[in-house]
Amino acid sequence: MSLLADALEHLVRGIVDHPDDVRVTLVTTRRGRTLEVHVHPDDLGKVIGRGGRTATALRTVMAGIGGRGVRVDVVDTDR
Amino acid sequence: MSETLQAAEVDATEVEAAEDTVEAEPKTRGSSEDLLVQEGDIAGDYLERLLDLLDYDGDIDLDVEAGRAIVSIDGGEDLEKLVGTRGTVLESLQELTRLAVQQETGVRSRLMLDVAGWRAGRRAELAELGRTTAEKVLSSGERIRLHPMTPFERKVVHDAVAAVAGVHSESEGEEPQRRVVILPQA
Repeated sequence: MSLLADALEHLVRGIVDHPDDVRVTLVTTRRGRTLEVHVHPDDLGKVIGRGGRTATALRTVMAGIGGRGVRVDVVDTDR
Repeated sequence: MSETLQAAEVDATEVEAAEDTVEAEPKTRGSSEDLLVQEGDIAGDYLERLLDLLDYDGDIDLDVEAGRAIVSIDGGEDLEKLVGTRGTVLESLQELTRLAVQQETGVRSRLMLDVAGWRAGRRAELAELGRTTAEKVLSSGERIRLHPMTPFERKVVHDAVAAVAGVHSESEGEEPQRRVVILPQA
């Protein structure tokens, strides 16, 4: 599982202005497993993309390599 | 009238896909071959690291063709996961790779990613499907709707249909259910 988190962290680091601020954590809840993506507030737009396009691409790739059932959430770090 | 309108209405995503191939050269003429080589290098590093992290076997081949960088990954069975159903994972990985390249060069990338020869194989299959379906429509005089496809797939089918006289093609529906319809020429 940390393999999936590492892969996602790498994919996100490559597309942001502040790669050192990227953290991916695996959270397990009753609803299942979620990979939470934390990025620098200025990079939120980049990770989400126009119309959520980039976030969707990240989810699609993670579903491909991790099978289904793993959610990907981009966390707003201001909260 | 509505028929004409429909025909005139051009699919934005396919135009984009068409521009990717048709207009790649004029648009990138200003950018040097060096930039495209650099694009390939950045993409190669990004993808190689991904393969390492996932422990997937794969060789990355870099090329520059028709004004764009081409990155191909070939290797073990694991790579099928990076292609996905109907190439959906491949499309997403290409999107992310283009963003990673743009992040470093500051220029929007048009690079093409292929994994396990999927695009090459799929292109031949789809061109054949477009051609044979166009011939069916030509002899029956009745329209045929194909199954939903990605913009890349529809583009290949449209091109194949365009090569057959007496028929034409359109796209209908919303992504991801958008599909090609082949009709007899009015």
